[in-house]
Amino acid sequence: MYVKGLVTSALMATAGWGCHNDSSGNEGSASGGSGVVSGGATDAAETDNDTPTGDGSSGAGDDTSGDPQATCEAIAPGASPVRRMTRVEYDNTVRDLLGDKTRPGLNFPAEEESLGFNNNADTLVVVPILAEQYQDAAEKLAETAVAEHLPALLGGCNPASLGEATCAEKFVTNFGASVYRRPLVAEETTALLAVFNAGLEQYDFETGIRLVLTTMLQSPAFLYRVEFGAPIDGETAVRKVAPYELASRLSFFLWGSMPDAALFKAAADGKLETKEQVAAQAKRMLADPRARDAVREFHDQWLKLKHIEEVQKDADMFPDFDPAVLTLLRTEAETFIDHVIWDGEGDLNTMLQAPYTFMNAELAKYYGVTGPMTEAFEKVELGPGRASGFLTQGGLMAVLAKANQTSPIHRGKFIRESILCQFIPPPPDNVDITPPEVDPSLPTRERFIEHSADPFCAGCHQLMDPIGFGFEHFDALGKWRDVEAGKPIDATGTILSAKVMGDFDGVDGLSTMLVDSPEVEACMTRQWFRFAYGRGETNADTCILDELGAEFAASGRSIPDLLVAITQTDAFMYRAHEGDSK
Amino acid sequence: MNKSTLSRRSVLRGVGGACVALPLLEIMGGWDGPGDLPKRFVVFWTPNGTILENWRPTGTPQNYTMGPILKSLEEHKSDIIVLDGVDELSAYDGPGDAHQKATGQGLTATALQEGDFKGADGNSAGWGNGISIDQAIANVVGAATKFKSLEFGVNVYGANVGSRISYTGPAQPIPPENDPTAGFNRMFEGFSADPEAAKRRMAERKIVLDAVGADYQKLLPKVGAADRIKLQAHLDAVRDIEMRLGSGGVIGGACMKPELGVVPKPTEIANTPVIGKLQMDLLAMALACDLTRVASIMWTNSATAKPFPWLDIPEGHHELAHRGDDDMDARAKLTKINTWYAEQFAYLVAKLKAIPEGDGSVLDNTLLIWVNEHQKGNNHDRDQIPYVIAGGAGGAVKSGRWLQVDGKKSHNDLWSGCMNAMGLPDKTFGDPKYCTTPLNLA
Repeated sequence: MYVKGLVTSALMATAGWGCHNDSSGNEGSASGGSGVVSGGATDAAETDNDTPTGDGSSGAGDDTSGDPQATCEAIAPGASPVRRMTRVEYDNTVRDLLGDKTRPGLNFPAEEESLGFNNNADTLVVVPILAEQYQDAAEKLAETAVAEHLPALLGGCNPASLGEATCAEKFVTNFGASVYRRPLVAEETTALLAVFNAGLEQYDFETGIRLVLTTMLQSPAFLYRVEFGAPIDGETAVRKVAPYELASRLSFFLWGSMPDAALFKAAADGKLETKEQVAAQAKRMLADPRARDAVREFHDQWLKLKHIEEVQKDADMFPDFDPAVLTLLRTEAETFIDHVIWDGEGDLNTMLQAPYTFMNAELAKYYGVTGPMTEAFEKVELGPGRASGFLTQGGLMAVLAKANQTSPIHRGKFIRESILCQFIPPPPDNVDITPPEVDPSLPTRERFIEHSADPFCAGCHQLMDPIGFGFEHFDALGKWRDVEAGKPIDATGTILSAKVMGDFDGVDGLSTMLVDSPEVEACMTRQWFRFAYGRGETNADTCILDELGAEFAASGRSIPDLLVAITQTDAFMYRAHEGDSK
Repeated sequence: MNKSTLSRRSVLRGVGGACVALPLLEIMGGWDGPGDLPKRFVVFWTPNGTILENWRPTGTPQNYTMGPILKSLEEHKSDIIVLDGVDELSAYDGPGDAHQKATGQGLTATALQEGDFKGADGNSAGWGNGISIDQAIANVVGAATKFKSLEFGVNVYGANVGSRISYTGPAQPIPPENDPTAGFNRMFEGFSADPEAAKRRMAERKIVLDAVGADYQKLLPKVGAADRIKLQAHLDAVRDIEMRLGSGGVIGGACMKPELGVVPKPTEIANTPVIGKLQMDLLAMALACDLTRVASIMWTNSATAKPFPWLDIPEGHHELAHRGDDDMDARAKLTKINTWYAEQFAYLVAKLKAIPEGDGSVLDNTLLIWVNEHQKGNNHDRDQIPYVIAGGAGGAVKSGRWLQVDGKKSHNDLWSGCMNAMGLPDKTFGDPKYCTTPLNLA
């Protein structure tokens, strides 16, 4: 049994803890539950901001905060774990390093997820099956590279004229620095040349080069971002992130890949020292198409876009549904995000409120909308009420639905968890969690209201379902409907237990309330924090979150500006240093 | 079918001309001698509990009739222990909700770590906090095979504590392979007929892995404690691959590279029966070829919302499992689901029985155990977990009985009992505070 007010998880700090009206002692009830969450929990969110994640695998995240004002002067980067590449980062990196577009990472096991993202450093461990796949991928990549691009790998060095040993050394030193994303230390060069010599002696020159590349592609310097930082006078627990390390931080955050030549040069020239220099690089990088890929990757995870293609619908209920449309629905969402962030307003409010979306001819037919005539996606104005940013897009609506009907629960839960960064616990033991059966004579809303009328269920469901009801114009396939079960859709809803509370009508009404909510703004920075820094936030990050929040607000909630701001914090520019290291 | 052992001798003798020894074996050796048959350990895991009244046999321990759920095992009765009454005591303690605990502790028998995985009732948990029984056994019996262990999955969804049962150590979960094609490629890669190419490949890998391992080794003392754990795990994995470079498996006798045919989409829930069968076929072939001696097959995941369209059950498994005891419709459907799982278990039993080995079958030298996440879904009861054991573990397990365990007997003791049956001397497994004496399976 937990004690009311004792917050044991970052997720529980904001809301949701204790919404169950069960025997565990929480006084929340069908009528009073909102008070519990809005009073207790959001206060907890303000004062504690967040609590240590308590992940046993992490040694960092000490709860040293207390009075935030007092601690924001000191350099406080928070935990700085070693970060392993994700599959997407691996594929992007070998593309940029070797020109390889085969995406070998697709064969690796899926990353373990935490807080909705797959790049949380604490959860990314290596087991034999992954090491084996790293080996297979490295072998294939090296084989192709040596077979097709040997002169380029050798940087033009001709072993016939300059000697095999000279060219091998050049390869290890020069190309190795690209693979390791920093100059090699002498010890590494020696070890790699020993690999080369073994290959040369037993086989031939090309084998030696191929084995060196195979080795490098399995090394910690390639697969991980290992940082040692640069000492700062008078500081023992904190170091500055060293220039090459910072170059990789920038490139993996903003491109999901390795640094380019300009970043390497900036690192070599000592021009990644000041915040201004880092910001200038970040702005340059945001103009590169690779930034679109990285930002798309964030949204794929945050907005569950990766799940769109996994959607399965009930063939009896929806005999005309063709899963081929799912790819189009994902493209719609990604095209929209791309457009808003890079070509449009660039702000959070537009993402939540835009009265337009993107369709091609086939998708327009699916939605029953006239407009696009070709395969190309184009902007389609649907008007307020019909479209409200990503919230009303078919892909998300279909993901947040059951196979045979909508799910106000999942839609409400999504708003709570992904948009407000609150947490609704899964149902407790011993409750019937089967959704109400489809009844052609009763609208979803009525069936779900009846379903969660039980006071035992209502404590939590009142936080979700009344928000989800606002989406009822969008059926389980994400299509607009005016009528269900012979009755006009009632899309009125209510937000309880949040900083902005009250009734609304339809998703445009909901989104109007959401954009007014400071929680939505803070949640956006928090989600990007998790994705960018590869970890959950802790008490020690209070100052950083406050700083990011202030910047985000001041910029008119500009996402590109937030991305630059993320490169300016202590968490990005500095790293925690354990005394016994190096 | 010819009876043959999977030993070197049978290879040399040759079986029907189709037998090809893998070249790597010739280089490295490392086989059990004739008569020294390998023992194997296999876990078959299903979620969401059973309906105990329909699972439990009737009669006496020696003379009993299978309950409706286990009726498909009637024909294998002499190879089966219906293990009734072991409790997951540890899975009531520590962080996490009932599903997280039961899944993460099912094979580790130790409390979970603290962490960010969200659970019911405001609980949260991290990964399992210890090695799982399959891996503890694999560390001993899996040294000579190409794979220390193989983890098969059928529609295991998500990547968190509810979708992992195997751990190489604390917070080191092993992801199951859900795709038969990928598993097939991994298992039979290197079943090449060109000994020179294989020899060279191995020599090259040795050069590379030596250097890679040394690289991780040098880094370890330079990083902080939390990072060191991660990099150490990576180093261990590299060393493991290196150690197995010479292990291959052998084609001949019952071992052959199977024809995979067209594999339907593994993530499509309606394909579950086909994918499950393919995975069990691959598992059986992995044992027949001695590619591994430890394996697991995980059917979906903890608290899965997946329905069973091939059984005409449109509701999700977890939803059904939550319904009350008096909901006859739910009870009937849950019985149907568990009956179907029992049929899959029976298929695997039959499959292993059909692979001849020594004077008997691979099943005789295997300890195959069906582990359910819970006993009952609606209250997440973790007492009296409905285990079913098949096989003889080389004579160390006395099958053909309904083994009723009284009182509070922990699954820690079950796992140490399995270790003993597999030839390991351990007296405890998991958190020792739940251990009394190993459950005697002999």
